[in-house]
Amino acid sequence: MQRVIHSENVKTAIQAKGWTQKELAVQLGVTGQAVTNWMKGTDFPRPDKLLKLATTLKLGFSDLVQVPQAAQPVVAFRKKAGAKTKDEHVIKAMTMGALLKALVPYLSAVPQLRRQVPEPSADYAALQDVVSQVRKHLGLGDGGVLHYEQLLSEFADNGAVVVPVMWGALQNHKNALHILLPQERVTFIFLNLDTHLEDFKFWMAHELAHVFTPQLAGKDEGEDFADAFAGALLFPKELARAVYSQVAGQPLAHEAQVLRTAAHEHGISLNTVFQQVNGFARSQGLPALQHVELDIHKMRNAHRGKLVSETLFAPLPPPTSAYLAASERVFQSDFFPALRRMVRDKQTGAGYIQQVMDIPMQDALALHGELTR
Amino acid sequence: MTTEVLLDTNTYLRLAKRIRPAVGRQFGQVPYVVVILKAVEEEVHRSPRLRFRNPWFDEPEFALERQAKQSRLSAQDKQDMKLVQDVLMGMVQLDVDKYTSHGRSPPGATDCWLLAYGQVKDAIVVTDDLGMHLLAAEAHLLVWHGFELLAKLRTAKVVGNELIREIYDALERNGDLTQTWREAKHNDFARIFGKRPSA
Repeated sequence: MQRVIHSENVKTAIQAKGWTQKELAVQLGVTGQAVTNWMKGTDFPRPDKLLKLATTLKLGFSDLVQVPQAAQPVVAFRKKAGAKTKDEHVIKAMTMGALLKALVPYLSAVPQLRRQVPEPSADYAALQDVVSQVRKHLGLGDGGVLHYEQLLSEFADNGAVVVPVMWGALQNHKNALHILLPQERVTFIFLNLDTHLEDFKFWMAHELAHVFTPQLAGKDEGEDFADAFAGALLFPKELARAVYSQVAGQPLAHEAQVLRTAAHEHGISLNTVFQQVNGFARSQGLPALQHVELDIHKMRNAHRGKLVSETLFAPLPPPTSAYLAASERVFQSDFFPALRRMVRDKQTGAGYIQQVMDIPMQDALALHGELTR
Repeated sequence: MTTEVLLDTNTYLRLAKRIRPAVGRQFGQVPYVVVILKAVEEEVHRSPRLRFRNPWFDEPEFALERQAKQSRLSAQDKQDMKLVQDVLMGMVQLDVDKYTSHGRSPPGATDCWLLAYGQVKDAIVVTDDLGMHLLAAEAHLLVWHGFELLAKLRTAKVVGNELIREIYDALERNGDLTQTWREAKHNDFARIFGKRPSA
């Protein structure tokens, strides 16, 4: 990484103390010329002097060292309901991103030609047009059922590495984490397998939208577009139209039954069906469904189905070898093969795995053991 | 005036069960005193596997000793440590390659917090983590390997040869003997185990 001292911040801190550069140099035990060179960007302090500089001037790392924007990871969370993202979550994700840079050279060749939505819009007609093209590309008609496995090749083809993780069903703050490394043009997408299938599918579609819209990385519009894209991709206009025509003018109980059947057939949440049918109605100037959102959430919470990890590995937890095999075969992920190459080539310690996957050390040790076997 | 010797989680788990009492005990001519931070407590409690593998950790004898001797940090200490931790973590990110080779792992937030304690409180951190050793060397911070602590405890006659044998046996049995401990067996503890047999 390029190393340059944030000279403006250092100057301000020196002035606040009423010192000169020379006095700072005396405090640090270096020559005045050394400080001048740091300030000009022609030299960078050795680690012990960098630490001394920070503690002397009370400047944190980001205030002290200039890191080019393009070198910084861009992170986005898919949070659990009610979870709040705190500074510590962002710092941890940014650290994961910084450490993942070391893995990039060990990935198989990352495709440079990628699909991109040039002008992402949540406008109904424009969005339906985009998802129709994506579904065609996946070999799906407008009414076909989308399985999450069909999305996997899209990630690989567009420079995104899927990392299936088991972060638990309850304790974790996030259910998916998206880390874009702009300089390396690689995206790592961590997907928590300890989630319900219907949510998992939605998050995958949501993450795919981020992959198609790197220009919106880290922005609120990116999140809005990704949500709109995911719903539309899983239950597009023609399906919404068919459901609407079945429930229009029918009793409330019939409406609930039709919505449930559609959600079940497509393996998606009742809320996604509800939102898409209402979106269709709005676009056509038709009356909304009779149910309100609160009813839908109550009905949905009563029938949540199995976790993805249960469908893949029951009984839980899986042996490490089974988990690695599923990652490579089911999720077509290059993450563990790359990690295997890296730990063997560089003799990387288990603590690296622990940090880049945000998992307990004991799990990291088990993975490290398996990867170095 | 004592110098604090701060154990990281792995060192505490490797040694504390057998060296009694461990925490709060003064030893050597300096003298040194062994301390534990709350971060270690939290790290073990966060990991079901660590708790499962070390059921003694929460036995009253150990838990009370840790609580009673836990180092108290002032608000200023915490603020200073936060700054040092932040810079240390940044330093790792500037040189990820170095911290991901030769058996090393990049020091994480808890590791850097312990090293920050060492910097702010002039304490010595005891760890077998090679990444932490590299970072400490670069930042000119004092760290010992676990076996170095054990050797100093032996010099201070806190532990005897028999206990050192027991500790080595247990580490070997549990597959927990690191390369540095293995090398120390026939160097630092050559009087107990003898010189390494020539190949």
